[in-house]
Amino acid sequence: MTDNGSAPVALLAERIWFSFRNHDWVLKDVSLSIPAGKHTVIMGPSGTGKTTLLRVLAGLLKPNTGQVRVFGQPTQELKPRELSALVGYVPQQLGLVRNLSALDNVLMGSLGRLSDSRALLGLFPRDEIEKARAALEMMGIGHKSSAQVFHLSGGERQRVAIARTLLQRPRIVVADEFASDLDLALASEILARIRRAAEQEEITFIMSMHRIGLARQFGDAVLALRNGELGAGFIGNEILETPSVEAPL
Amino acid sequence: MRSTLFVPLTAGFFLLAVLAHLGFFDWTRLSRGFRNLGILGADMVPPDLGILPVASAALWETVEMSFAGTLLGFLASLPLSILGTRRLFSTWVSSLARFIAAGIRTVPVLLWAIVFVILVGLGPLAGTFGIAAYTVGYLAKIYADLFEGTDPEIMEAVQSTGASKLQLVRFVIIPEAANAVLAQVLFMLEYNIRASSILGFVGAGGLGFVIQIYLQSLDYRRLATVLLLVLVLVLVMDGISAWLRKRFLLSAHAG
Repeated sequence: MTDNGSAPVALLAERIWFSFRNHDWVLKDVSLSIPAGKHTVIMGPSGTGKTTLLRVLAGLLKPNTGQVRVFGQPTQELKPRELSALVGYVPQQLGLVRNLSALDNVLMGSLGRLSDSRALLGLFPRDEIEKARAALEMMGIGHKSSAQVFHLSGGERQRVAIARTLLQRPRIVVADEFASDLDLALASEILARIRRAAEQEEITFIMSMHRIGLARQFGDAVLALRNGELGAGFIGNEILETPSVEAPL
Repeated sequence: MRSTLFVPLTAGFFLLAVLAHLGFFDWTRLSRGFRNLGILGADMVPPDLGILPVASAALWETVEMSFAGTLLGFLASLPLSILGTRRLFSTWVSSLARFIAAGIRTVPVLLWAIVFVILVGLGPLAGTFGIAAYTVGYLAKIYADLFEGTDPEIMEAVQSTGASKLQLVRFVIIPEAANAVLAQVLFMLEYNIRASSILGFVGAGGLGFVIQIYLQSLDYRRLATVLLLVLVLVLVMDGISAWLRKRFLLSAHAG
């Protein structure tokens, strides 16, 4: 997709084919290469395979053929904790635990670094708690840290979900239909905050969206997915060519 | 039209046949029953309040048994229900856990009380264990089904932070199910309070022992006092659990 010369490749997907049932292909020969620091937006009509593509990129689904490499390492060869240090994932419904506070939800980002015995007692290290508060602060929701997620609005929940992946400290964050159900002004403000946080923490974001205005505001590159095939996209004003597709054996 | 009437008509016919077999249409027997009810009612008033100290002690024992039994059963049901959650453990492990819970549940609480009277002797300890056993069988099944219903998106999101199985249980599965977990414990506590007032019949402590003595000696005025105490206890428990539900369950859904 892009070749940015100096920046290392954060995520490389090579000829991904994926189906839930035999040869009913959801993803058809998808290849892409995302340089570190280049936030990428994937657009496309609903039912076109965006969620599946993101879950494959995040290492949550294993492709039938092809492979995904994150900073050179194949995701299928990584243990869950090694993968979690490289890739964070925010599902469309955010995946927050509604009965717990915003701060508790953010602290879950640190579970990959916490022993079972400490976790069972809920004993998070002091510096993790401070970092969790800082992440909420960075997303502009520090004042709601002790509120139950139940009582938070849609926009506030989006901020909590991002703060959780910030605490996880991955190098790539994959977010599905992020800020889709927010009004434009609010979505735009949250995305601007995410860009600032991403630059500060050196995280590369890969998001799916369906609003072109937001996609162009947030993405350094925008790609189109249609019927499981990666079609034309653009970087800035430069149009990218449609990749060719061939069925594997 | 014919097929829609067939099922209710057949069901009605069977109901009548079964009732007839059980003696429901034996009018002399039924009218004797109504007469006896009058006599029993008359024999019960006024309740003999002289036995209040004895009955109160037995009542307190019943309360202790049901609280301790419910709590013990609840604590034991948690690990069993987690092992029975198919999404966390292999089919083999979860099926075994569910099989154990089903086995425990098949035995009624009164039978469990008899088993524990044999094992640990007469008295409230046997009753407590009996209640705990039945509670484990019931709650383990309900909780395992509840835990399995956890939103898979939340599981996946938290799993992708590198969380272990145990951490998922602690931070996702139990908090997500917390309201239903509490509601089921309260339901079980109310059930156990009622159940434990008859466990004394088999020597497992509490009010049942007193009820049995007054029943056998036809001492209906004293029996009336005990039944009034049971009524008060059940009403108080209903009040407490209604308050707990309002305090913890409704507020969580307000958002």
